[in-house]
Amino acid sequence: MSGVPLIWYLLLSFGLFGLGLLGVMRRRNPLLMLLAVELMLNSANIALVGFARHWDNTDGQIFALVVMAVAAAEVVIGLGLVVAVFRQRLALNVDEMSSLKG
Amino acid sequence: MEPALAWIVLGLPLLGAATLAAWPTEPPRSMTRVLGVGPIALGFLLSAWLYVQMLGESSDDRLVASRVWEWIEIGDLTIDVALQIDPLSVMMMLIITGVGSLIFLYSTEYMEHDRDYRRFFAEMGFFVFSMLLLVLAANFLFLIVGWALVGLASYLLIGFYYEKPPAVAAAKKAFIINVIGDIAMVIGAFILIVELGTLDYALVFEAAPDGLSRGAVEAVTILLFVGAAAKSAQVPLHTWLPDAMEGPTPVSALIHAATMVTAGVYLVVRTHELYELAPFASDLVAITGAVTLFLAATIAMVQVDVKRVLAWSTVSQIGYMIMAAGLGAYGAAMFHLMTHAFFKALLFLSIGIVIHGLAGEQSLDRMGGLGRHLKLAYVATAIGVLAISGVPGTSGFFSKDEILASAWDAGDLGRALWVVGALAAGITAFYMFRLLLRTFYGPEPGGGYGVHPHRSRWPMTVPVAVLAVLSLFGGWIQVPSGWSWITDWLEPVIGPESIPGQQAEGVTLVASIAVVAIGAGVAWWIFAADPGRRSRLAGRFAATRRLLEDGYRFDPVYQQALVQPSRDLGDYLYGRFEPDFIQGMLKGAVSLVRGGAIALRAAQDGLVRTYAFVMVAGVVSLGALLAWVVTR
Repeated sequence: MSGVPLIWYLLLSFGLFGLGLLGVMRRRNPLLMLLAVELMLNSANIALVGFARHWDNTDGQIFALVVMAVAAAEVVIGLGLVVAVFRQRLALNVDEMSSLKG
Repeated sequence: MEPALAWIVLGLPLLGAATLAAWPTEPPRSMTRVLGVGPIALGFLLSAWLYVQMLGESSDDRLVASRVWEWIEIGDLTIDVALQIDPLSVMMMLIITGVGSLIFLYSTEYMEHDRDYRRFFAEMGFFVFSMLLLVLAANFLFLIVGWALVGLASYLLIGFYYEKPPAVAAAKKAFIINVIGDIAMVIGAFILIVELGTLDYALVFEAAPDGLSRGAVEAVTILLFVGAAAKSAQVPLHTWLPDAMEGPTPVSALIHAATMVTAGVYLVVRTHELYELAPFASDLVAITGAVTLFLAATIAMVQVDVKRVLAWSTVSQIGYMIMAAGLGAYGAAMFHLMTHAFFKALLFLSIGIVIHGLAGEQSLDRMGGLGRHLKLAYVATAIGVLAISGVPGTSGFFSKDEILASAWDAGDLGRALWVVGALAAGITAFYMFRLLLRTFYGPEPGGGYGVHPHRSRWPMTVPVAVLAVLSLFGGWIQVPSGWSWITDWLEPVIGPESIPGQQAEGVTLVASIAVVAIGAGVAWWIFAADPGRRSRLAGRFAATRRLLEDGYRFDPVYQQALVQPSRDLGDYLYGRFEPDFIQGMLKGAVSLVRGGAIALRAAQDGLVRTYAFVMVAGVVSLGALLAWVVTR
């Protein structure tokens, strides 16, 4: 098997996943949190595609396609929520959206 | 032979009862009469046809189990929907539907003034259906189903006048005591399932000699007999029957003559193959019967309510049958069951004419001299009294003598029970003649009757006349040293039965004629010869009278030993246990949940980032755990 070794894919994936995770946990703006989630999903895609190449098996690639579809759906809902919040003229700050607390 | 006939006979009363019950409004009385009496009468005709068909078969072909389908299959246990059609069940069908239809016809007139006409006939039809199911069942499961339905039907009918608290109490008492028997029978059936893996009569009887240990067969037969004793009102489970007099008189006639109380005798005869393997249980049955027949006869001597006299006489007569069945004289037991059905139905129906004529009066103290007003009832009751006392030539004479003669031949125990039975026969003559004399003979009661006694119309008189003829001549089908049609007819079921010897017949004949003459003579001496003698004697034996009037105080003892403790336990459970313990447990569970919820609520703080952090922390710790497990 020629080309880039598997470890590089995994390192890239790991790095992107860590960035996404930090983003989700640190950011307060829901729009940016959605972006961070997208980052995590796509890092997973990179890992899947990398493994698919490594094992010469297309299952991983198909799985990546499914993840993309899920990510698109998630973005639709997430952006819909963000727009709804924006229409209410509320601050785009997740820490203040806590009316469902126990 | 056409087994479908038995299914039709079984289904007809249920159909009639269901139609009456489901009718949206109170149907016209004429229709109620047709739907009430019709199915039973038609059932009798079909039973008779079945009997004629069976006569044409050879005796080996007379045992038929008509299986329709397999109802339950659990592991090795299969239970069929099946009817047992053999000489025993056909004989029971003829008695139930024959005497039953006469009682139904009588009821159409007796209940004429009752507003619940439809309910009465629906419940009576259901009663007959249950009893037919009981005698036609081909396995113990359906036997128990019929058994329990009879208990339910008796509950409904004894409590027919549900506005009257004593009737409701009597209904509950009958039901509860019967359920004691039901439970014992169910346990007996479980033992059969465990030991033999089947409930089918034929298979059980076939496998019992080898498949059942002595202990198991004794246990099963004793448990079955507890059921029989509860249904047939044997000591110590007899106390419900006298109270059951709270029901309408035709109900008493049906319970006492054609159905219900005969079920115990039927059960012992039906399962005689098991009892023959269980000498101890058989002796227990015989002794119970003897004790019952004697106690009940003595109690009947002093009862003032006419129907209670008849009730105790039923307990006593059933005691004779149970005793005979316990001693192995199954033919004699069934013979007495049949003749008793005739004369006890006759007695209830003719006394019913008196009660009906006096607008519900049942106390002997308010009767007397009625023979002048109600001639037919007088004659009919007299015939019934002669028959139940065993005056030579009447039906009771032949059947009771056969029981006593069989007892004479049944070893030492039988000889002892013969003495009890013969003594009680004298007492029977005494109390029955007392009933007759105090009702129809002598002066009218002080203050006259409550109402002028009125005669009855044909639906009440015709059944009485038919039963009178049967009571007089019904015994001639089995004559000692002559012919024995009942025992011969039942032979395919009960096997060949030894006929009592000449000595037994002779001794019994002399003894029974003597005790009947003495009993009747004493009754005449006390109640007819000298009007003042009764009260003088009553004063002298006041303590004994009270003991007998209270039925040997079984009821107060049960009240003290069982009912009151149960009630106290109930009060404790309701007053203390339920509020403190059960409610306490519930409240504890509630506060636990509430406290836990308050503690956990803090975790839901509404900050999305906290949730994300907790999720990541969870994933990381799961991953760490996984890594630790894998690398270990």
